[in-house]
Amino acid sequence: MRLGMKVRQLASIAAATAAIAFVSGTAAKAQNCSVWLVESSRFMKVPFGAFMPDRAFVPGSTNPNNNIPTVDLPANYGVIKCGTDLILYDTGWKAQEYLKMTGSEHWASGPDQLKVLGFSPGDVTKIVIGHGHWDHAGQIMDYPNAVLYVQKQELQGIEWALSYPEKHIRAINSDPGGCNRTPACGYMPLTMQEIYGKVLNGKAVVVDGQMEIAPGVIIHPAFRAHTAGSQLLEVPTSVGKLVFGSDAYSSYEGIRDWMVANIQQTDSVQQFLAYEQCYKITGGYENCVSAHEPLAYTDKYPLTKNSWVALNGGRMAEIALAPGEKSRKP
Amino acid sequence: MIGVPGFRPVLLISALVVVAAAAVVAWRYELRPTSTQQAVAATPERSEPRALTPEEETYAAALWEIQRQVTVSAVAMSYAGIAYETDKHDVHVLEQKLEPLAKFFAEAEPRVRGLTVPPSLSKVHDEYLEAVVLYRKASNEMLAFTKDGERRHLVDAQGMGVTASEDLLRAGEVLWPGQYKPH
Repeated sequence: MRLGMKVRQLASIAAATAAIAFVSGTAAKAQNCSVWLVESSRFMKVPFGAFMPDRAFVPGSTNPNNNIPTVDLPANYGVIKCGTDLILYDTGWKAQEYLKMTGSEHWASGPDQLKVLGFSPGDVTKIVIGHGHWDHAGQIMDYPNAVLYVQKQELQGIEWALSYPEKHIRAINSDPGGCNRTPACGYMPLTMQEIYGKVLNGKAVVVDGQMEIAPGVIIHPAFRAHTAGSQLLEVPTSVGKLVFGSDAYSSYEGIRDWMVANIQQTDSVQQFLAYEQCYKITGGYENCVSAHEPLAYTDKYPLTKNSWVALNGGRMAEIALAPGEKSRKP
Repeated sequence: MIGVPGFRPVLLISALVVVAAAAVVAWRYELRPTSTQQAVAATPERSEPRALTPEEETYAAALWEIQRQVTVSAVAMSYAGIAYETDKHDVHVLEQKLEPLAKFFAEAEPRVRGLTVPPSLSKVHDEYLEAVVLYRKASNEMLAFTKDGERRHLVDAQGMGVTASEDLLRAGEVLWPGQYKPH
């Protein structure tokens, strides 16, 4: 009898606590975040048609969609400060003497770039990777305190490809010169070891769909918009809601003009649905944050025009500041 | 007595001054590194692939047959660890995933050792061999965890896996530059 009462009391307390937590959780007002865009490196002179098939160069053409032979593609990641949280959306990649990437320039290390913005690597509390490819999910180990957010679908997609019996499907690097667009291509062993390191150390959250990771900061699934488990990140700011898209939104012009971009493991319909998701959340295309837009850091991609040149010629842009946040632009 | 110099010495001195000034200007504007050049030098040099000799090409092609399986197996090993941590913590499933990988790495090691290595690629070969040895040890460490449950095996294995993966990239930078493309 006494035990029963105690259990009921505990249950009541637990229910009340849960109710308070629920109410306070849902009532937690989304605060505006400060946002910077940082160029990890730049892939130089990429044939435009290899990036966006609809923009393939046609010699002699006067059509503005087809008269540009090559483009320089930045590899961008987001630095997002929301209250006490410092969140990275993607982490760029790590050029070393063993990974110089032919044709890439202006690389600087993520931790050094954060210092330029006045942060230290230890300040990073969360890392959301838009997908697990090597040029977006590198340097993870350089942020020791950060919790990694990766979609379950992304990991399962890699396993599916690895387990598939036909070598061209499961290829990671099965042909001289690279693996091109086979399903497990882009996940180099080092990147996977870094992701595993976070998981092993209890510093990873495997997300299954949508998740709010801070007030108003919401992960949205964009499965197969670039890879099996691509994910977007909605961020509230003083200039409206932003949606970071990693390679689901490789190109700002692609979102604006409804053209696919950076087709790797992309289902083009799903990529368009990811574009649409940004239109729905932000009310248009101007606040969709692209990972490889050639026009980034210029007036032609207005969201990113408040920019400057930082380490090694790499560029940064200050997109939005929260109330009381100081400008980091030199 | 200090005499006034004649016309020819003055002309000679003037010419020397002009040459020296031109040299200074040239140094400042042409030879001295500009800030941009200095900035570029701050990162690893841009990779310009070196053409391999026919002997080196033969080695690279033979090693690629092993490499294509090594990369897949290395990623599969990481994934096995991730799946164990994020799924049901089933050591039997982990063991089932690891056993063929450990067997592969054990067999890959003598295959790599058995290749004919051009002297110019001996360092690359040693790095690659170290990678395969480390992957073999890592897979065995993870299997040891499935036997005794000691998590230090997993931590050690993950460290080995990182080093091995870096070694793979070092060798690949010479043998298969551009194998990873912008994604």
